[in-house]
Amino acid sequence: MPNFTLSLSIQKHTLSNIQNWIERNALSLIVFVLTILSILLFLFYYLNGLGLAYNDARSHLDIGRRVVEGLKPGIAQLGSVWLPLPHVLMIPTIWIDIFWHSGLSGALVSMVSFVSMGVIIYLFLKSLGAGLLGRFFGVIVFVANLNILYLQSTAMTELLLMATMTIGCYYLLLWAKKEEVLYLIKSAFFIMLSTLTRYDGWFLFLFAALLVAVKVLIKHGFKISLGQLKEVYQETEGKLILFSTLAGFGIALWFLWNLVIFKDPLYFAFGPFSARTQQAQLEAAGELHTKYNIVLSTVLYLYALIYNSYAFTVILGLFGLIALWFSKIKTEIKVAAMALLAPLFFNVLALFLGHSVLFIQGISGNTWFNVRYGIMLLPAIAVFTGFLVDKLKNLRWTFIGLFAFTTFFAFSSGDSVAIDDARVGSSQKNVTEVSGWLSRNAKDRTGFILISAASHDAIIFSSGLPMKKFIHEGTGAYWESATTAPDRWARWIVMRTHDDNDLVWKDVSRSEGFKKYILVDSYPFADIYELDEKYLGDLNTGPTFGKQK
Amino acid sequence: MKIIKKIFKPVFFILFLLFTVSILALSIRGVYGNPTTETLNSLYFKDDGPLELSPEKGRFALIYSLIEDKSFHFSLPVAKTVTPDLGYQDGKYVSLFDPGVSIIAAPGYIIGKYFNVSQFGSFAVIALFALANALLIMGVAKKLGANGIASSLAGLVFLFGTPAFAYAVTLYQHHVTVFLMLLSIFLLVKYKGILPLFFVWILVVGSLIADYPNFFLFLPIGIYALGRVFPIEDIDNRVKLNIKILGLISFITILIPVSLFLWVHKVSYGDPLQLAGTVRSVKDFDVDGSPLFREDLLRREGKVLEAETLNKGKTPIGFFKTRNFIKGLYLHLVSDERGILVFTPVLLLSLIGIYYSYVKIPKVTALLLALIGMNIAVYSMWGDPWGGWAFGSRYLIPSYALLSIFVAFTLTKFRGRGLVLILFLVLAAYSISVSTLGALTSNKIPPKVEAVALEPISGKKEHYTYLRNWEFLSNNGSKSFVFQTFGKDYVTARQYFFMVVGSIIIVMTGQIIYLYLTARKDPPSRKATEGERI
Repeated sequence: MPNFTLSLSIQKHTLSNIQNWIERNALSLIVFVLTILSILLFLFYYLNGLGLAYNDARSHLDIGRRVVEGLKPGIAQLGSVWLPLPHVLMIPTIWIDIFWHSGLSGALVSMVSFVSMGVIIYLFLKSLGAGLLGRFFGVIVFVANLNILYLQSTAMTELLLMATMTIGCYYLLLWAKKEEVLYLIKSAFFIMLSTLTRYDGWFLFLFAALLVAVKVLIKHGFKISLGQLKEVYQETEGKLILFSTLAGFGIALWFLWNLVIFKDPLYFAFGPFSARTQQAQLEAAGELHTKYNIVLSTVLYLYALIYNSYAFTVILGLFGLIALWFSKIKTEIKVAAMALLAPLFFNVLALFLGHSVLFIQGISGNTWFNVRYGIMLLPAIAVFTGFLVDKLKNLRWTFIGLFAFTTFFAFSSGDSVAIDDARVGSSQKNVTEVSGWLSRNAKDRTGFILISAASHDAIIFSSGLPMKKFIHEGTGAYWESATTAPDRWARWIVMRTHDDNDLVWKDVSRSEGFKKYILVDSYPFADIYELDEKYLGDLNTGPTFGKQK
Repeated sequence: MKIIKKIFKPVFFILFLLFTVSILALSIRGVYGNPTTETLNSLYFKDDGPLELSPEKGRFALIYSLIEDKSFHFSLPVAKTVTPDLGYQDGKYVSLFDPGVSIIAAPGYIIGKYFNVSQFGSFAVIALFALANALLIMGVAKKLGANGIASSLAGLVFLFGTPAFAYAVTLYQHHVTVFLMLLSIFLLVKYKGILPLFFVWILVVGSLIADYPNFFLFLPIGIYALGRVFPIEDIDNRVKLNIKILGLISFITILIPVSLFLWVHKVSYGDPLQLAGTVRSVKDFDVDGSPLFREDLLRREGKVLEAETLNKGKTPIGFFKTRNFIKGLYLHLVSDERGILVFTPVLLLSLIGIYYSYVKIPKVTALLLALIGMNIAVYSMWGDPWGGWAFGSRYLIPSYALLSIFVAFTLTKFRGRGLVLILFLVLAAYSISVSTLGALTSNKIPPKVEAVALEPISGKKEHYTYLRNWEFLSNNGSKSFVFQTFGKDYVTARQYFFMVVGSIIIVMTGQIIYLYLTARKDPPSRKATEGERI
């Protein structure tokens, strides 16, 4: 049979040049593409209204805003429950109204973290010896995920946490590989940042410290003579102190902060707004099913992980983890890479101990809650998958093809549990009715609104009113005065009637002044009371306390 | 010795054929008599008979219409047998199933009709495809370097040791799909160069007529075959991308199945691009014979469908959701409802074969794994991974076939290891027993959720595993044509079952012993790696 063939030849050195060019410019390319993507997606979710769907996103933005605006602005407004870094990073922009109300101030942090994640996954894989394809594939696995794309467009803290943790793990890997102490310091620094972002970082700190010790032991081998034992001990101790001093600095600062501001170093853990208190309420209501149930805790978290990262990707990640573990890479490097798995252990442990709550629709009730916690393992999955694709050369296109196929359907079916939780799960709070009322009736009228920020931050945010219109727990003398004599300070009161968990109701409902209010409207999340007009003459309507400490 | 081997080979092949044909013939479901418009809707043919579920009912009704009414549209009496999987398009009742299988099985109907067994004849066509599949598994495995006996065992494992058996004796699309898939692989493995592509494109695109999801299932074959049109060569200091002109010309053959596809859909649904599954479905009939749709039934119950739901048209990709993946995967692989682990654990041995195959013939292994991965992915994302009321995971039948090829590799590698062969025999005996149970009785196994819901109505334990088949068999039930027509006067259904299962296990045991004995004489050190040269 005649062999009609057209041929295109390319010199290998040309290919090599192209590859070198890509390699040289890979990071710029990633930054460029991810930045464009990040901006477009922020606009997309802002315009369709989903960007602020999470109740927590609005609360984060309010915390940042209270630092710069309100009846008692200042750094103390960072509060005690949520760790401060996400809100501190908002401060440079949150004073601009559009940045506050569009959520951009918080989203900006997530967006920068998102782009950084692309870079760090690329570098992580490079450090593991993966080729260009594997590195880019790892980045794609991370990016081609609707949950990530959504969360990076919001003021939630997941992306910042992921970025600080992953960068910390990356430098830990470099330290394990190159033995340069500077990398250990860098790792400690980023892990410290993660400890100031969310409590997941605290676990990473402990986990990484353990890995540092294990790494030193592996370096010396496990067959150590008695004479060497002291030497190994000293080295381990030295490295641990060096690492922990910086990595644990944020935690120490947080204890100090709580001591100085709230007079109790453990206020964040045992205070009235702590997660523990909230979990206690859930437990009392019989909703904390995972507490002391390791099987359910593990199952629920695995479901969250699979729903967030997509099942096929998780399977690839698992194969990648196995491939990495059985690869010829030095054991201490592999051990360091395992730091990426910290969120898995943390979340299961937190659920088991009852410090965290997670609802998966169809398994634990008929709603979603906090399901986004499952996304925390996506960086690990991306890295392991990239490694797998690099190592199994003959199967790489099979894996890439199947990944592309399943991801296509993830997008075509709009598969995002993070969005579902925000739209219809327990993480959403549609307060438009009550905030709409405030916006219509309080905007152009003088007087303060008394409200508990701990219970109704979403209402404060959604009302679109300036923060200085509200008297809340963080306003010092205003709060104390208004909860004692509401009729002198609050023209409106927003609270859940007959619910002592609402601090306003708890304090105000027993006061004499409360009798002067009329219930003007009732909504699912709160009721609105307005001071009877005949008492308006005695009402303070201006910030008369001046600058408070 | 060589002469004996030369003589033995064709004899073995003929014996193999005779054996498989006999077992299939003993198992094909059916009843005597040609169904008519009056009898088609009777219990004799439907629930108590071979047309027990909507897939075979719908497909057989289409054959009936094609032959008896010379139409792709159903007359009202025929349409009534097909509900609830009945479509309505342009004032005509149409099938909701892809028409390919009905067209393929029509010759069987015609021949069967001559002997007053038109339904049996139609089903026998699928059995022939199943037989061809077993032979193709043998062929592909051998071509890839597996031992001949091990390859024939792999063929038997697929045919009788997986739920594929239960679908070889009725009118489903799966064996046709597997045939097109295996034939494509066989052509690519056996023949080098461009020539096989002329046929492969026909098979790949033609598979769409049998079952629409084949579009996804056959993608890896299409991509693999494309590699021959655009081969890349690594020569010294250059990389050369070749474009085979003849390869480009081979795409012309796509026109054959494409034309057929468009024509069939034009005459069926009035629109060449209208897919069967996206047609509006009829749920019942009014007293005057006019169709009733979902919204009509809800309206009668006093419920109103929201406009959004009403306007939501069916789209082909809308059936697949990644959110279903983990549930589907569990169901297909490990659940007692449909899982491989419960229905055909012998395939677990393929995992060892995958490793050895990957080491020897990585490229072909990658293709086969891509096909398996695609099959599992597609049907794990599918809204109904159970496949309705079904025996085992019918959607994974293509994977069973491909995994069987890897079983051949496992057997080849360990053919001198008695313990492994005994393990294989034990797993195979279990898998064959389960699969034969399904084949000889019924595919009407509900998903667990439906079985549980049925219990208060029926007032008895409703099984959702193969125990339901055992219950059926224990009540002297078998839907085998031979048993129902001739056998039931002489043996009970259970005795019939043991005879069939026993025959298969005895034959396989003989093959295993032969494999073991030859391995001891001839240590396993085959170098045949045809795949490497592809």
